[in-house]
Amino acid sequence: MESLLLKIGQNLFLIFAVMALAGAAVMVFARNAVHSVIGFLFAMLSVAGCYLSLGAEFMGVAQLLIYAGGIVVLFLFVVMLVELSKAREARRFQGQTPFALLLVGAGLVAFVGIFWQTIFGASATEPLTLSQNLVSHGETLGNAQMVSRGLFAEYLLPFEILSVILLVALVGAVVLAKAERV
Amino acid sequence: MPTPTLTQTLVIALIQAILVVIFIFVIVPLTIYAERKVLGHIQLRLGATRIAGTHTGLTGLVNRSMWKLGKVPVLAYWRGIPMLVGDILKMILKEDVRPTKADRFVFFLAPSLSFVAAVMAFAAVSFVPGTFFTFPKWVPLVGGLPLSGGMADVNVGLLWILGIASVGVYGIVLAGWASNSKYPLLGSLRSGAQIVSYEVPLTLSLLAPVLMSGSLQFSHMATTMATGLPFWGIVPQMLGFLVYFTCGFAETNRLPFDMPEAENELVAGFHTEYSGMKFGFFYLGEYINMAVVSALAAGFFLGGPWLLPFGLQGLVNPYLPAWLGQPCALFFVVKIVLLLFVFIWVRGTIPRYRYDQIMAVAWKYLIPLALVNLLLAAMVRYLAV
Repeated sequence: MESLLLKIGQNLFLIFAVMALAGAAVMVFARNAVHSVIGFLFAMLSVAGCYLSLGAEFMGVAQLLIYAGGIVVLFLFVVMLVELSKAREARRFQGQTPFALLLVGAGLVAFVGIFWQTIFGASATEPLTLSQNLVSHGETLGNAQMVSRGLFAEYLLPFEILSVILLVALVGAVVLAKAERV
Repeated sequence: MPTPTLTQTLVIALIQAILVVIFIFVIVPLTIYAERKVLGHIQLRLGATRIAGTHTGLTGLVNRSMWKLGKVPVLAYWRGIPMLVGDILKMILKEDVRPTKADRFVFFLAPSLSFVAAVMAFAAVSFVPGTFFTFPKWVPLVGGLPLSGGMADVNVGLLWILGIASVGVYGIVLAGWASNSKYPLLGSLRSGAQIVSYEVPLTLSLLAPVLMSGSLQFSHMATTMATGLPFWGIVPQMLGFLVYFTCGFAETNRLPFDMPEAENELVAGFHTEYSGMKFGFFYLGEYINMAVVSALAAGFFLGGPWLLPFGLQGLVNPYLPAWLGQPCALFFVVKIVLLLFVFIWVRGTIPRYRYDQIMAVAWKYLIPLALVNLLLAAMVRYLAV
């Protein structure tokens, strides 16, 4: 019993990863767009489980809150309101197949190279550690506190620039939508 | 104290889960019963009375003689209790109708999502900080081990509750879509938009306790908010409590924000096509969500397992008798029950808003108020340190 539970606990990441892949497969292959969104939601929840099983609880819960709770809801709204049957009949993606295959091949080569390096390369033997100035404050900090210290103390400028970029995207979307209406 | 093995940890977690589920399934039917009774009395009626025979048997004798004396029979107040069983039996036994054109899988998935999300939010709620009780030595497998007051009182507990609550929206939106019918679709879009909008002021008002306690852990936040604040900590907590609780009404789709049940406009909103136990899951999910909202409000603003709300416990602690100064799970439960009563009370008092008014309340009034509250909390934090 004990050893079985231990084994399951050690392989939790693999279980969640397989679930995430299954969700992603459902998303790609489902005929119905809403079923795709449900597969996407399942994949996002499983990725949150992956983070939790790796001990990154803040990442996991943020994944749950932002992707599963926010972004996929917007996907669902759009999919529900847009009539997709006509778009399927038009078959507008025919000309892109060779380019898509080429890009997928390039991406596959890059990812396999990275995985090869991480599993068999030099970095596989030494464990990843946090940046020293994040952990050297003497006290044992929680996950959320460490992330916030990193974001708002060590890397404040990049973080603020990122948020400005997001704001620009937001304003741009509003401007585009307004122009269409007139 | 021995360190528990993995099996023992899992068994303890299971016992905690069972205790929480028992708590939920005791408090939810009682809330439904109380809702009938309280609403009845608000409207000068008796509420649910008609289950046992009114004029026969021993109870009938008491009733008849009391009517003769010109009084409302005492038993009439309590006679609605078997109605609980009747309600549950009705939900389980009723025919489960599925519309022909409905999407079979999503139609089945939606009520379970909304129910499971509501129950899972309770995982991070801590009923009492530290140990709830220690198992006696004679208990097999887990004897001598402590059972903590929260199931998973994790470091990011508040974020977990908010995240799981936002997953609950899928239940409503998918139910409306899967029914493949006009009214449910419109109703689900309306309540989906309402819930997504009200999540903003809700989260902003909960940021004030986070700011004042410097933590996201439920028990730590409850402890700091109840005992660790100087005097003016009360002010932002009052405002934050009102903003939070208003948003809680909207999040649980209760009056005066019950858009899904605006029956004169949309039949029954997203659950028009549901019947039997599938409808029952939506119904139970709503009441469990009410309990979650009440638990958060009780934990952060009303002092959690301590006696006094709004940080007053920390001020008057030396003057209290010793046993009142200690945290106790019973106080927490009493506060949850009190807030559930407020839910029913407001339902019987305030009429429903129009849809545009609901959105205006969220974006024009509650969000600025929540921001002001956050500013006040920051000032308290600044002055206290």
